Amino acid sequence: MKWTSEATSAALFAGADQPLFGRRERRPRGARLPVVVVTGFLGSGKTTLIRALLDRPEGADTALVVNEFGEIGIDQALLRASSDATVLIGNGCLCCNVRSDLEETLRGLFIDRARGAVPSFARVVIETSGLADPAPILQTFATDRALGGEFHLQAMVAVVDALNGAVNLERMEEARCQVAVADRIVLSKSDLARRGAVEDLAASLRALSAAPLREAALGAVEPQFLLDDGIIVRPELPEGSHRHTHGIESFALLFEKPMPWPAFAQAMGVLTNLRGADLLRAKGLVAIEGAKGPVVVHYVQHVAHNPVELLEWPDEDRRSRLVFVTRGIPREAVAALFAAIGGVAAPPPP
Amino acid sequence: MPEAAIWNFKELAHHELDGFGGIGEGMSIQIAKDGRRILWLAHESAPKNFTAIDVTEPRAPKIVARADLPQRHMRSNSLETVGDVMAVAYQTTQKGLQPAGFELFDISVPENPRSICLYDCSGPSSRGVHQLWFADGEYIHMSSGAPDFRPSHPKDDQFYRIIDVRNPAKPQEVGRWWLPGTQEGDSAPPPVRHPEAADTGFRPHNTNVYPQRPDRAYLGYIDGGMVILDIADKAHPKMVARWDYHPPYHGFTHTVVPFFERGLLVVSDECVRTEGADWPKLVWIVDARDETNPVPISTCPLPPLSDFMRPQARYGAHNLFENLPKPNSWKSETIVLATFFNGGLRAYDTTNPYQPKEVGYYVPAPPRGAPSGAVQINDVLVDERGVVYTVDRHAGGLYTLEMDF
Repeated sequence: MKWTSEATSAALFAGADQPLFGRRERRPRGARLPVVVVTGFLGSGKTTLIRALLDRPEGADTALVVNEFGEIGIDQALLRASSDATVLIGNGCLCCNVRSDLEETLRGLFIDRARGAVPSFARVVIETSGLADPAPILQTFATDRALGGEFHLQAMVAVVDALNGAVNLERMEEARCQVAVADRIVLSKSDLARRGAVEDLAASLRALSAAPLREAALGAVEPQFLLDDGIIVRPELPEGSHRHTHGIESFALLFEKPMPWPAFAQAMGVLTNLRGADLLRAKGLVAIEGAKGPVVVHYVQHVAHNPVELLEWPDEDRRSRLVFVTRGIPREAVAALFAAIGGVAAPPPP
Repeated sequence: MPEAAIWNFKELAHHELDGFGGIGEGMSIQIAKDGRRILWLAHESAPKNFTAIDVTEPRAPKIVARADLPQRHMRSNSLETVGDVMAVAYQTTQKGLQPAGFELFDISVPENPRSICLYDCSGPSSRGVHQLWFADGEYIHMSSGAPDFRPSHPKDDQFYRIIDVRNPAKPQEVGRWWLPGTQEGDSAPPPVRHPEAADTGFRPHNTNVYPQRPDRAYLGYIDGGMVILDIADKAHPKMVARWDYHPPYHGFTHTVVPFFERGLLVVSDECVRTEGADWPKLVWIVDARDETNPVPISTCPLPPLSDFMRPQARYGAHNLFENLPKPNSWKSETIVLATFFNGGLRAYDTTNPYQPKEVGYYVPAPPRGAPSGAVQINDVLVDERGVVYTVDRHAGGLYTLEMDF
């Protein structure tokens, strides 16, 4: 390689090995800070679940973001230092209440961490208020202009309690949305409810989502269930994963062959343009022509997260796998859309 | 600010080297004939010369050999291995002392390094060799004094020398270059000195040569900035470019690492003063698509001075991982790994060269016996397995890590 002024500026960015999506990453979050969002109605057991996590070694070095300190029930004796908004709570953890909005709070935490004003936390756990619509929180992490450059949505965890969960699910659309878009579901207080009621509730949850589900024993689950990356979709999940209830559709699509990125982006563009409000969430791994590893994609309503190419596939299966959660957009329509756009896309170069 | 911090690195092991944990900027890996992976480290100062550590299992490093220096008035600081040959730099505290130069060792049995020769660079104006580059098994490129060199200023006592070691028993100089004006009798005027307290000399530090461009040498030239030499004719090196950004910056350009596929240079300064007196010492990203006109386009972001400033301790840039052109070295043209003394080891993603982004850091706790009470991370090496080795300048010894970004 000769260095001359004829070299284009593109070389500065890409070099000879030109990855389509920037540096290939070891995992979906890259170097970003992982964020676990815990949703669930008031009294569902979010606080108990989070406190149990923070007490474990795996939960050390967590920054917890809450709406009110009172909710997490911090023992004042544990406070070692405090500012208006942030308190240290032991085990390397800190707790921060939401100031005017979540984005500003997280930006402030990131800057404080960089300047060493707070401990160098390794992840963020956000405890949402009971009625929160998860979509705006999901969108917070979508773009670089928001917080997508610093934080990665590692997992959306919905907590549903066995005593009131069934009623909430039946009556409240927010409750159904929280479960439908979750990467994992925790069924709490099952020890306090009749076994039959617990099984009925589990069946209702299964009708909304194929996401992994755990019963919380005395309010806690194993830490990895909360902390593992939720964006990775296992290939076995799509088999029989089609759900349809209360107008919410949850389904998966598998694609045998790699797609050209423009075709994939066009198909998702049509969906987000025409039905963005009803595209509650879409996520998965896509085999893209010219990419060496799978490309992690994530859409929330109108907003696309930046795609990330991984160094390698998580398993032997090389098929694209996408999970959709929609309001009234059926699986057949989405599959037909991909088939139609794939049919007119330019064939790969010989 | 917490005393220790870690993000996107995993610590595998820490070895204090039995109380001799002060390591300079010589780190090199040998795969021994029996398959063991041996890390050779040059000590920062007397009494130790070098230490060899079996890092086959990076979670359990074991010392296999250690050598003392023959004199207290010298330091090794720099070494490199190629196959079973190791070159170790020797620099004396005062001019005119011996031994000053480099020594070649046969390390085919790591437990028993055997001297092949001592190449003498001593002289009335020489302190010997501060740093050497030895990657191809044929030539050593180094920053050295010489018996016949008469600097025009006492602080400019080292210059660039190319030594043919194809016959390791009888090394021979084949070329030399110095910044015009730094030797008595030069037609060029001597360079304008930096302020006396900050005058660290017009002399080379690192002298890197890569197989992608065997006709180029990339020199950090301390107070002279960065220099690119054409060494197609080793007997007559010619300057291709010089980028001198001080003043207003504080001098001591240390290392130049080319990212050949991207037309970029990564250039580090060395922080040489304590308590922030020469802040900021930086890692620069330089657009060198036209190598005759290098243009700085960004620097790697650093936490503010107040976070890592400690009494009697340094905080600022120093060594870079150099993409060593050897089979047992990791290579990357996107990730920059750099050491920052009390700022630890820091990693940057330069995918967007205009906005390097920090992707990880490792600042271990102050080591036992640290004279300043602070950690002073000095150098970094990464092997082809992706295992990261980093060292403390004064007391902490060796830290082995995994990258997790």
